[in-house]
Amino acid sequence: MRRYKNRQFCKRRQCNHKSGHTISTVAIAGVPNCGKTTIFNAFTGLKQTVGNWPGVTVEKVSGSFWLNNQHVSLVDLPGTYNLSPDTEDQKVAERVISDGEYDLIINVVDASNLSRNLYLTMDLKDSTNQIVVLLNMVDVAEKEGLNVDVNALSKQVGCPVIPVIGVDKASVENARLEIEKIVKHLPKHTKHVSIKEVWDTVRKYAHIDEICASVINDSSHTKKSFTNRIDTIVLNKFAAIPIFLVAMFVTFWLAIGVGSVFIDFFDIIGGLVFVDIPSVILEALHAPQWLVVILAGGVGAGCQTVFTFIPVVFFMFLALAILEDLGYMARVGVIADRFMRKIGLPGSAFIPMIVGFGCTVPAIMAARTLATKRDRFMTIFMAPFMSCGARLPVYALFCAALFKEKSGIAVFMIYLSGLFLAIVTGFFLKGTLFKGKSSYFVMDLPLYHAPRPASILKNAWFRVSAFVRKAGSIVVIAVAVLSIINTVGIKDSRLTFGNEDSQSSILAYVGKAIVPVFKPMGIKEENWPASVALFTGLFAKEAIVGTINSLYASINMTDSTAMPESKEEASINILPEIREAFASIKSSFIDIVSSFDVLGIALIAEDDITISEKIGAEPEVYKHLANNFTPISAFAYLLFVLVYFPCLAVIGVAKQEMGGFYAAVMAAYCTLLAWAVATLFYQVAEGRNIIYMIASFAVLVIIYGGLHFIGKHSRRLEN
Amino acid sequence: MSKIIKLSDIVPNKCYTVAGFKEESDYSDKLHKMGFVKGTVIKLAPVKTYDPMIFQIRASRIALRKKEASQILVEEIYE
Repeated sequence: MRRYKNRQFCKRRQCNHKSGHTISTVAIAGVPNCGKTTIFNAFTGLKQTVGNWPGVTVEKVSGSFWLNNQHVSLVDLPGTYNLSPDTEDQKVAERVISDGEYDLIINVVDASNLSRNLYLTMDLKDSTNQIVVLLNMVDVAEKEGLNVDVNALSKQVGCPVIPVIGVDKASVENARLEIEKIVKHLPKHTKHVSIKEVWDTVRKYAHIDEICASVINDSSHTKKSFTNRIDTIVLNKFAAIPIFLVAMFVTFWLAIGVGSVFIDFFDIIGGLVFVDIPSVILEALHAPQWLVVILAGGVGAGCQTVFTFIPVVFFMFLALAILEDLGYMARVGVIADRFMRKIGLPGSAFIPMIVGFGCTVPAIMAARTLATKRDRFMTIFMAPFMSCGARLPVYALFCAALFKEKSGIAVFMIYLSGLFLAIVTGFFLKGTLFKGKSSYFVMDLPLYHAPRPASILKNAWFRVSAFVRKAGSIVVIAVAVLSIINTVGIKDSRLTFGNEDSQSSILAYVGKAIVPVFKPMGIKEENWPASVALFTGLFAKEAIVGTINSLYASINMTDSTAMPESKEEASINILPEIREAFASIKSSFIDIVSSFDVLGIALIAEDDITISEKIGAEPEVYKHLANNFTPISAFAYLLFVLVYFPCLAVIGVAKQEMGGFYAAVMAAYCTLLAWAVATLFYQVAEGRNIIYMIASFAVLVIIYGGLHFIGKHSRRLEN
Repeated sequence: MSKIIKLSDIVPNKCYTVAGFKEESDYSDKLHKMGFVKGTVIKLAPVKTYDPMIFQIRASRIALRKKEASQILVEEIYE
């Protein structure tokens, strides 16, 4: 190994000596959608690292490739149209290039959209002379009727131009060989004094127009281009909405349907790896019980929670990346703009909302694509109101117990309430927290082209790893703390462990203590399990089902001091667990394929026993639910479940995207609104208690006032 | 000299050139850099939409709301 390294080192020295010019770092620059990342992937292969540019939250993707037998590091710069920084992404590109940190800039140019791409090239030329243009997508351009004269372009722009088809391996390898030749004769680096306004925009474009006129052989006027023909159908007055619905259905089917096939698998494997195995090992080492609880039951359970989100997040981003790569996403923005503008958002904000019906976590991450900070934050605030898949089991359980054959309507009403509250939230925020200028809508509609599997997979993978790294940490901590207070109990003034979902845990005490808070929304004093469940629902809303189920069961056991299910110590068998994990994939796969039911709505239509089996509850739980709730109070409770504190994973990503302050505001907003809405509904429909009604109105006023206050006293969100 | 009209009022199958912006705004600068400079040829994309409208400029298709398009001034090219 060492010898090999030495040899490389010698070669490198030789090479340096020969050319008299060292290339050690190369950056790829280009406008968004020019196929920059495809070329980056083709050059670097699978060995890539994702980090952050110092000081900003923009992802930095870097890898390396071979150039003249030298190992050269390659950095993918954020896509930008020019070097005058508008957004955070573009600031990074501008800084990197103007600092001259790189020995060579590879400028990827989309041949099908030469004039806008060349604007960046001109900007780059102003700041460095060590630049190579890769003229990408020459095949796409030809299809649209555009032929570019490469030699003439090279002469006009004043730097080497290499035609390339990013999706074709041989073509990319050929480009790499060309770069090797060019690098040997690269001019000495001359750093220009300033890149700012060397030429103004008008003159630059005039120059570009001249270039374009002389290098492009345009035959596109003669026929209607491929993209325009598709757009005529996709954006058609009548067909647009149906096509859009089909596209959304497929997206959901892929993300939630196919993604959820693997949820149980990840859950079981995660439980095994992070919880069961560590606890067995710790016990074998005779570690004290509190340590086992903290490490396996707390931190381990936290890791497991993050782990189970991976398949849904991955498939959601995979589906979105496909739509994006196809070029359809931009069209969705156009279609949705008509109604999104009413709440002061651009049409593109609609996509994250749709994603929210599957899972709020990828929804919040999808808001990144929006242009301004105000639009992004507002969308993030509205996303949790789209009822996600995890809330459905809760609705299913309650509705089966209390609404019987009217379950479908009840669940539909809940989804509708969510939509309604999202719109209300939009109006609330527009006038208070996110005042700012009303947004504008400028959308570049890229050419349609076939999705590129490698870049789609990579895109989805990076988003998932970002989720695990950033949101993961806060989720692990929060879940760890909650699991610990869920398992630790006080008995005879001594700490005991293994009290999960029982009456004796600290969590149960807390739950009992705060029941009065939920009284106005129809939860009776003796119905404290419902309030405890709201705490476990913080992990993931479906946890409410498990908690309610076991707490109702444990109340029935007259002697609650006996906790038989304390530990399954050392009794786990790894092989059967793994087998079960794989079996779960098969059974859920059959489920989704046979039903095409992307939201899992069919669950509602099953009879009580089937539902209880599917969501893992005891059949007796229906009796308890029917005893403890009226239909009205159950609906109020479900409204609360819909709206209150989004699960910890959501707050985790919200913090990552907006910072701790806005994440906290969002959590508080959701919880207060949930209380006000649930209380108001219950009191109007059943309670008829004027004081509580006034109280809920008062809370709404406080929310509005609070948002107004914060909006006034915090800095305006720019970009 | 031909008459200057708003971009939101242009008709299909005719070519126009950008004449300028009614007033500076946060998107006018963005559009400027995107290639909406004086003299650039612009026309409606052959795709029927009401609002947002889709324009063809510099080999790309840009969707703009009517409101934003009305801030951009163009003049017709007579051939």
